[in-house]
Amino acid sequence: MDYQLTDEQRIIVDTLRKFMREEILPLEDKLDPDAGDLEPEDKARLVAKVRDMGFYGLGIPPEFGGPDLDTTTQTLMAMEMTQHRAGLYNPAYGVFGGAGLAQLFEATDAQKEKYLYPTLRGEKSTFFGLTEPSGGSDPARAIQTRAVRDGEDWVLNGSKIFISGADRADFGLIFARTDSDKGRGGVTCFIVDVPSPGFYVRRVVHTLRSTRYATEIQIENLRVPDSNILGEVNKGFAIANDRLTRQRIPYAAGCVGVAIKAQEMAIEYCKIRNTFGGPLASRQSIQWMIVDNELDIRTARYLCLDAAQKADRGEEFRTEAAMAKLVGSEAGGRVVDRAMQIFGGYGMTKDFPFERWYREMRIRRIGEGPSEVQRLVIARDIIGGAFH
Amino acid sequence: MKVLVPVKRVIDYNVKARVKADGSGVDLANVKMSMNPFDEISVEQAVRMKEAGTATEIVIVSIGPAAAQETIRTALAMGGDRGILVKTDQTVEPLAVAKILKIITEQEGADIVILGKQAIDDDSNQTGQMLAALLGRSQATFASEVKIEGGKAEVTREVDGGLQTIRVNLPTVITVDLRLNEPRYASLPNIMKARKKPIDEKTPEDYGVDITPRLKVLKTTEPPVRTAGVKVESVQELVAKLRNEAGVI
Repeated sequence: MDYQLTDEQRIIVDTLRKFMREEILPLEDKLDPDAGDLEPEDKARLVAKVRDMGFYGLGIPPEFGGPDLDTTTQTLMAMEMTQHRAGLYNPAYGVFGGAGLAQLFEATDAQKEKYLYPTLRGEKSTFFGLTEPSGGSDPARAIQTRAVRDGEDWVLNGSKIFISGADRADFGLIFARTDSDKGRGGVTCFIVDVPSPGFYVRRVVHTLRSTRYATEIQIENLRVPDSNILGEVNKGFAIANDRLTRQRIPYAAGCVGVAIKAQEMAIEYCKIRNTFGGPLASRQSIQWMIVDNELDIRTARYLCLDAAQKADRGEEFRTEAAMAKLVGSEAGGRVVDRAMQIFGGYGMTKDFPFERWYREMRIRRIGEGPSEVQRLVIARDIIGGAFH
Repeated sequence: MKVLVPVKRVIDYNVKARVKADGSGVDLANVKMSMNPFDEISVEQAVRMKEAGTATEIVIVSIGPAAAQETIRTALAMGGDRGILVKTDQTVEPLAVAKILKIITEQEGADIVILGKQAIDDDSNQTGQMLAALLGRSQATFASEVKIEGGKAEVTREVDGGLQTIRVNLPTVITVDLRLNEPRYASLPNIMKARKKPIDEKTPEDYGVDITPRLKVLKTTEPPVRTAGVKVESVQELVAKLRNEAGVI
């Protein structure tokens, strides 16, 4: 498959590349190597610039004020926006905005007024509460948080783990079991205001990612009104699953973006670094690393674009998204690892972005569904559900 | 007032240029190409003139390979109205470019031609001046400020040792310097509109211009590698070195 960009896509990619080079990289150079965000005034200035350019709110449907861009173009953009030190988990430091909780686009009008629109305006922050201590990859069985009806309210009890942003959120989504016999057909999605009596952020969970931590949530007799159910009772799993599938493509594209940058740096460096009287670039062992990097990058890139194009054509893209996520995260890890090897001692220093990418890229094989679950999804499709 | 803006597709300014092994030129295989940065400044100037109501139409021209169409499209996304691609795979030297531009300027009846002062690939800094001479027009080169008023252009030029402000009669040819403006990022709505803007395709033969190169490249070499400095023990030694070895005092 040879993917040819349209004129518009090429100009968008070029524009974005220039923006990253001229606006983001010079600011990042002055930040701490582990910085999570830009200085507030820099960020406000760049957000205003991105709004003027008409690109603000990536992932927000046009009818809600987002830019009118298909999945393929957004995938290409994700590959550009991640090409910097903080790029994996904070592409372009968030100056292009984002959809936040995409599930809220399915909300009722009253819920949209109260939760969606303030979020899109950047006034409210959110969290996504799916994973529990009992597991994340099999939400149908692992969700043990329970919701029991009591008059006009539901009463929730349970706990959640690895939830980003719950300590700073104004509200979030909590998935809870409303029917214990029905597996995935017994899960409901609740919109939970923060703070609420019975909602506790029990502790901060530190991870490989030094800039952003996760939290553990404890829920004790938390009352949520019936009007705060997102979608329908017992149909929460579909809401979670749709997000998980869609999220896989940009997640994979982010890994590809970082890999592209790591490879570019490795190629440049091996041409100027001399050992034993010649440049690294003349050593076959190094050449093969560069070749393997390129194969990894191209394979992952094509799979991302293939999944995105299927999504744009309105076709089923679950398998393709799983393939893109699986290969993107694994190939991304290999490329960063090889680039680090080529850079030798310098690769380990905080003078270069490799060590941060190396840590953060490791999470990508686990976050948004680990590699094993992606393989399971793909196997179900190509072998058939009867054998699972 | 119609404005003509020529744009050139060149090696991207961020790419580290490498000389081909045989020394015949710069290796352009698999190298990112972009619009000459000085030309982005000319496009920006023209768009600002249109926004201010001074210009009515902006015509973008590029002379080069089929891929130069991309460069034109980028300029249209910044705010150009339509494009002309003069397609050729041959090397086109400044004089040939100026001859083609002369005919296009006359055919289009363009009042102002705004060019980058030079292209970052060959750094010739000739086309604008040659074009003005061929057209028999005034020229205002190295512009860092441009004001158009009452059939005249007041242009501040960056010259050795400072700034010089001149007034020229229209029609004229202006070449722009780095500090004239900061080119905008193309906006999403304008990128989408650019798709529908027309680009005419021509060849040098259509204009009856012989573009055969007049220059012969003898060789291309990498710039000399900077050698390491030396440490001196005393001011006396430094002065002696400056006087005897460097010959600067």
